[in-house]
Amino acid sequence: MSTALPGRVLAVEGLSKTFPGTRALVDVSLHVWRGEVHALLGGNGSGKSTLIKVLAGVHRGDPGGTIDVAGETVASDAVTPAWASRAGLRFVHQDLGLFDALSVAENVFAGRPYPRRRGRIDWRRTRRQAAEVLGRLETDVAPERPLAGLRPAERTLVAIARALHCGEGEERTVLVLDEPTAPLPGHEVDVLLEAVRRLADAGEAIVYVSHRLDEVLSVSDRVTVLRDGHRVAERPVAGLDEATLVGDIVGASLDRVYPEMPPPRLGEPVLSVRGLRGGPVRDVSFDLAPGEVLGIGGLVGSGRTTLLELLFGARPRDGGEVRVEGRAATLGSPRDGMRAGLAYVPEDRARDSAFLDLGIPENMSAADPARYWRGGRFRHRREREDARADAEALDIRAPSLAAPLLQLSGGNQQKVVLDRWLRRRTRVLLLDEPTQGVDIASRAEIYQQVRRAVADGAAAILVSSDFEELAHVSDRVLVLAGGRVVAEREGDVTRDWVTRQAYEGQGDRR
Amino acid sequence: MTTIGERASDMIEARVTEPAAAKRATGPSRSSALLGLAERYALVAFLGVLLIVFAVLPATSETFLTAANLRNVAANESVIAVAALAAMVPLLAGQFDVSIGAVLGMAQIAVASAMAHGVPLTGAIAIALACALVVGAVNGWLVAYLGVNSFIITLATATLVGGLVSLYTHDQVILQGVSQHLVDFGSGNLLGVPRVTWLVALVALLVAYGLGWTLQGRRLVSVGSNARAARLVGMPVNRIMLASFVVAALLAGIAGVLQVARTGTGNPQIGNAYTLAALSAAFLGASTIRPGRFNVPGTIIGVAFVAFSVNGLTLAGAADWVDPVFTGTALGVAVALSTVLGRRRGAQRVI
Repeated sequence: MSTALPGRVLAVEGLSKTFPGTRALVDVSLHVWRGEVHALLGGNGSGKSTLIKVLAGVHRGDPGGTIDVAGETVASDAVTPAWASRAGLRFVHQDLGLFDALSVAENVFAGRPYPRRRGRIDWRRTRRQAAEVLGRLETDVAPERPLAGLRPAERTLVAIARALHCGEGEERTVLVLDEPTAPLPGHEVDVLLEAVRRLADAGEAIVYVSHRLDEVLSVSDRVTVLRDGHRVAERPVAGLDEATLVGDIVGASLDRVYPEMPPPRLGEPVLSVRGLRGGPVRDVSFDLAPGEVLGIGGLVGSGRTTLLELLFGARPRDGGEVRVEGRAATLGSPRDGMRAGLAYVPEDRARDSAFLDLGIPENMSAADPARYWRGGRFRHRREREDARADAEALDIRAPSLAAPLLQLSGGNQQKVVLDRWLRRRTRVLLLDEPTQGVDIASRAEIYQQVRRAVADGAAAILVSSDFEELAHVSDRVLVLAGGRVVAEREGDVTRDWVTRQAYEGQGDRR
Repeated sequence: MTTIGERASDMIEARVTEPAAAKRATGPSRSSALLGLAERYALVAFLGVLLIVFAVLPATSETFLTAANLRNVAANESVIAVAALAAMVPLLAGQFDVSIGAVLGMAQIAVASAMAHGVPLTGAIAIALACALVVGAVNGWLVAYLGVNSFIITLATATLVGGLVSLYTHDQVILQGVSQHLVDFGSGNLLGVPRVTWLVALVALLVAYGLGWTLQGRRLVSVGSNARAARLVGMPVNRIMLASFVVAALLAGIAGVLQVARTGTGNPQIGNAYTLAALSAAFLGASTIRPGRFNVPGTIIGVAFVAFSVNGLTLAGAADWVDPVFTGTALGVAVALSTVLGRRRGAQRVI
C-alpha cells in the first residue's frame, strides 16, 4: 500500500497502540528521509517512547497501521525485534549498554561476528574496521583503548559506532538516538551534535529523540511532535523557534487566568532552603510551610533527585543553608538528615531502600530498629505486632509477614518503605518518584498516607516525572531546570504548565 | 494478540478489582509449606539417617555410638565449630573473610609462645586475642573504609600472617611451656561432656544472641542485605562492617587457643586448612534451619554433619581421600539444592 519514494527510508502510517485503560498512540505517522536528522519531541507520557518501542518490536502496535522501512512494508502488529534488526533499524538507548572492561573495538563488535583468519579472531582487522566506523564520526578514540577511560561523549560515540557498524550483507536504514545528550555535561554536547550532523550530511537517516529544544533546533532538519499519543505537528526546523515548539508540545491552551491565591499559610516554615548548591543543583531556595506538599517538576538532568539527596545529607553540598523548623541543619550524612527530622524515600527501591531478602517487620523498623532494643534483647514479638498493625492500616498484601520483601508487589513494597518513615517523628518527607512501578490502588493509598503525615504540621516534597500526578497531588509546584528554580505556582497547576516551564526554563544550559 | 506489557497491566487490574482473591492468597499453600519444611530440615534429617546407618552398620556399630567416640568427635570438632562461627559473621554482612585459618594459626602460636616465655595463661590468651584483634581491625578497615574487595584483601592478610608466623617460629612446633591448666581444659570432661564442647556451646549462644537479639546484629544483617539502603536509613555501615571482621578475628583467636588446649602444642603448619572447613560449614548451615541465610544452629549442624559422617566413614575403614570427597559433595549438593529451592520461593541467593 505504501509506495517507496526515493530517499524516504522510514514511513509509519496510522499507528495506534492501546494499553488497557489508555491509548498511548493514536493514528500516528512519522516520515524520515535519507540524509536528515528528524527530531521526535513530546512531553512525558506523550507516546514518544512507545513509538520507539513499537519500531524496535518491543511493543506490538494495534492492527491497522503500517510500518515501511526502505520500501518493505509490514503491518504494525507484526513488527518483531528480529524484523527491526533485519530491516536495518538501529537503536542507541539512553543506557548505552557498553562494556567497561572491554576495549573500544570490542565494544564496537559486541554481539557481532569478529573478522576471522584461519578460525581465529583477526585482531588487526577488527581494530581497523572499528577505526573505520569511528572515523566516520570523526573521533580520534583509539580502538584499543579500554572503554572505562573514555569521556561521556566518547562513550556515546562508541555506542553510535556500534549501531553504525554493519556486518557483511547487513543493511542499515535508520539510526534512532534516544536522548543521547541527557547524561552529558554541557561542553560535551557539542561534540556529539557535530558528529550527528556529519552523519546525516553523509547520508544517514537519524531519528533524534530529545528534550532539549536548543539541540533540536541546532541539529535537526525536521521535527515531529507528539502529544497525548497524537502526532500534533510535523515541521521543517528552518525558521522555527522554541516558542512554537513549546506550543506544539504543550498544546494551544495557554496560561489560564490565575485563580485567587489561597490564603497564606501561617506559622514558621518547616523547611527553609537558601542558595543550596551541589552536583547539578546550582542555586535553589524555597520555603516549605507546615502541612504543605510541594511538588518538584523538571526534565531528566534538571537536578530533581540531587536536590532531595542534598536535603537528606546523602550527598555533600557545596554551599547553601538548610533550616528545619528554624534550626540550621548540618547535613553531612543521612544520619544528620534523620536527626533533623527529614525522611527520604529514594527512587530506586531495589537499589536504595528495600531490604529485599528480609521480611516486612525488619523493613518497617529499618529506620529505627533501636526502639525494639530494650533491656538487653531485641523485642522481636513487639516488632512483629507493630508490623502487623501497620500492614493492616496500609492495606499491605503479602504471602506472610515474614515473607521476603521480594515476594511483594511494587506497590506493597513501597508502602512498607514509606511506613518506616511514617513511624518516626518526621518533619519533612522527601519522596522521589514514590509511585514508580506502583499499581493504581497503592498509589492512592500512598498519597493518602502522605497527606495524613503532613496534616499535623509536617511537610512533604514530591519529585515526579508524571506531571499530571504532580499537578494533582501538590499544593504548590516548583519547576527545576539546569539546577535552578525556573518557575513556581500555587493552585491551578496543570500538567501543561509544568511541561511548558520545564522546556522553557532550560534555555541557558550551556 | 496480547503483549507481555498488556498482560502485566491486566494482572495489576485484576489485583485492584479482586481484593478478595488477593486476600485469599495470604496463607501459604500446603505444598509450599511442605516444601519449606523439607528444605529447613533436610540436612538435619540426613544427619539423623547417617547416625542410624553408622549405628547399625556391622563395620561401625560397635564403636560409633559409644560415649567415647561421641565425646571424641565433639571435642575434636570444637576448633572448626568456633572457626565456622567466625566465618559466618562477615558472611552475614555480605563479605568474605578467608583469613580465619591464618588468624587461628597465629593465635595458636601467640598463646603457646607467650606461655613458653613464662607469661601466665590469662596473659597469654590476652596476647593471642590482641594479635587477632589487630588483624581483624586491619581487614575491616581496608574493606569498610577503603572499599577493597574482602575476598582478595583477606587472602592477602592471610598470606602475610602465615609468613610472619613462619618467620617467628622458624617453622618449629612449640612443644614446651603450655600451661597444664589449658591442656586439662582441652582434654577433660564436665558432666560427661568435653569441657571444650561446653565452651563451643557458650560461644555459639553468644554469637546467636549477638546476631539475633541485639541491635548491632540487626544492623549487621541489614548491611548484608542492602548496604546502600542501610546507609540511607542512617546505619553506620562502615563501622558495622569493620566490627564484623573484628568479631570474626576474635572468634578465630579463640579457636586458636582451643586448638592449643586440644593438642598441647603450637604448630605453625596449622592454620589455612581451617579456612575452607569453616567456610564450608557456614555455607552448609545456610542451607538449613533458616534456608538462604547464615544462621548459628545451621552452622553447628553443618559442622556436626561433616564431622559425624567422616568419623563414621573412617571407622568403617574408608581411606583418607573419602573425607574431602564426601565433604565436597555434601557442600555442593546442599548449596545447589537450597539455591534451586530458594529460587522457586523467589528469594535471593546467599552469595
